[in-house]
Amino acid sequence: MATSPTQYAHPEALVDADWLEQHLNDDGLRIIESNEDILLYDTGHIPGAVHIDWRSDLQDQVIRDYIAPDKFAELCSRNGITPETTCVFYGDKANWWACYALWAFRLFGHDKVKILNGGRDKWKAEGRPMTREVPKYPQTNYPVPQKRLDQEIRAFANEALAQSEAGKPLIDVRSPGEFKGEITHMAEYPQEGVLRGGHIPGAKSVPWKTATNEDSTFKPANELAKIYLEGCDLKSGTDTVVYCRIGERSSHTWFVLTYLLGLENVRNYDGSWTEWGNKVGAPIEKSA
Amino acid sequence: MTETNMYPPKLEKIINLFESLPETERRETLVSYADNAKKQEPRPGEKFVLEDVRKDEECADTVGVYLQVDDEGKAHFRMTLGPEVQTLTRAMTAILCKGLDGRTPQEVLELPGDFVTRIVGTELVRVRSQTIYYVLTRIKGICKVYLDRQRMAEVA
Repeated sequence: MATSPTQYAHPEALVDADWLEQHLNDDGLRIIESNEDILLYDTGHIPGAVHIDWRSDLQDQVIRDYIAPDKFAELCSRNGITPETTCVFYGDKANWWACYALWAFRLFGHDKVKILNGGRDKWKAEGRPMTREVPKYPQTNYPVPQKRLDQEIRAFANEALAQSEAGKPLIDVRSPGEFKGEITHMAEYPQEGVLRGGHIPGAKSVPWKTATNEDSTFKPANELAKIYLEGCDLKSGTDTVVYCRIGERSSHTWFVLTYLLGLENVRNYDGSWTEWGNKVGAPIEKSA
Repeated sequence: MTETNMYPPKLEKIINLFESLPETERRETLVSYADNAKKQEPRPGEKFVLEDVRKDEECADTVGVYLQVDDEGKAHFRMTLGPEVQTLTRAMTAILCKGLDGRTPQEVLELPGDFVTRIVGTELVRVRSQTIYYVLTRIKGICKVYLDRQRMAEVA
């Protein structure tokens, strides 16, 4: 196991609000806000932060997939990001979308990434500076990544099925009602219903929020170790697949397992339940 | 409202404004309306014929709708929004409270909902922004309850 129960495996992957407030104008740092609420950035954001939208910026607008490497290079270039830039992500919903954006950046091999612990809510609650001024950074020339790390940190439906059939770890981070198949959508998102409820056979239920405190920060390492390493018997080096409905809540858990607990070979099945629950012939378990 | 004048004049004016704006300004204007949503809250001493405060699964937080109907049968709306309510929903609150003010509950109930996308624009209408219709649905809902009660009272 790559982590001690008293310390995060990669503490450098988190920054706190005090640190960020003192480094707002650092060269080589780009603060990135990513939210579910599409207009939230426009209502005010951390000074100097740019906005990256999970759907219009990171996803292909026609095919259900992420943007191609050349589009990622364009996105980074227009936000003044180079491969050497440290990107600090933050957002609403206890950093759901920030973790999703971070995971997408990792998908393209950008590895200088951090999360603002506590996200937007904590920053705002503490009365820290916010602005509506949209920053402009000089255009960079981000090189087109050679490939997406689809094999390394992303899982597809056939791989989730193989994981299930092999009895390897699958973590379902949705709510207990979704996991049990009692509801076919997340509470408050009825438009995302699917044809079948339940979970991938063999998956364990650990709702994403189990990893967070009330103030949206991550729980300490020893508590996370108890939840995931002891509770789910996850081990470094063993393939682990996490999923939710569209891959955003599971990005949060992917970040926890990869960066805070130091597990290797964790992949996010972003097709998640909106694919699995609609897929003809996909095996489903409904028991608790 | 007649067929040639499908929307109330106040709402029509808002729709026309949004349709004339480029995307950046449309967003800024939506945020500006969202900033003003708080002004739609009930004021001290105001009385309402109906109050409907609840947390639905379509919305991230509690939303309250308050209906006043004046002596001429015209409706006036007030709304309260919980802190988690999304920015677009806040914007639609301010827009609809202004745009529908002074119409009869029946006119509000008959209002077609297609204007919402003309205000918000297609770029912002997508998965997880379905709540743009939520405020209109709630406003129509309270009007329907009002009209049903009126009819029942007439029958009784």
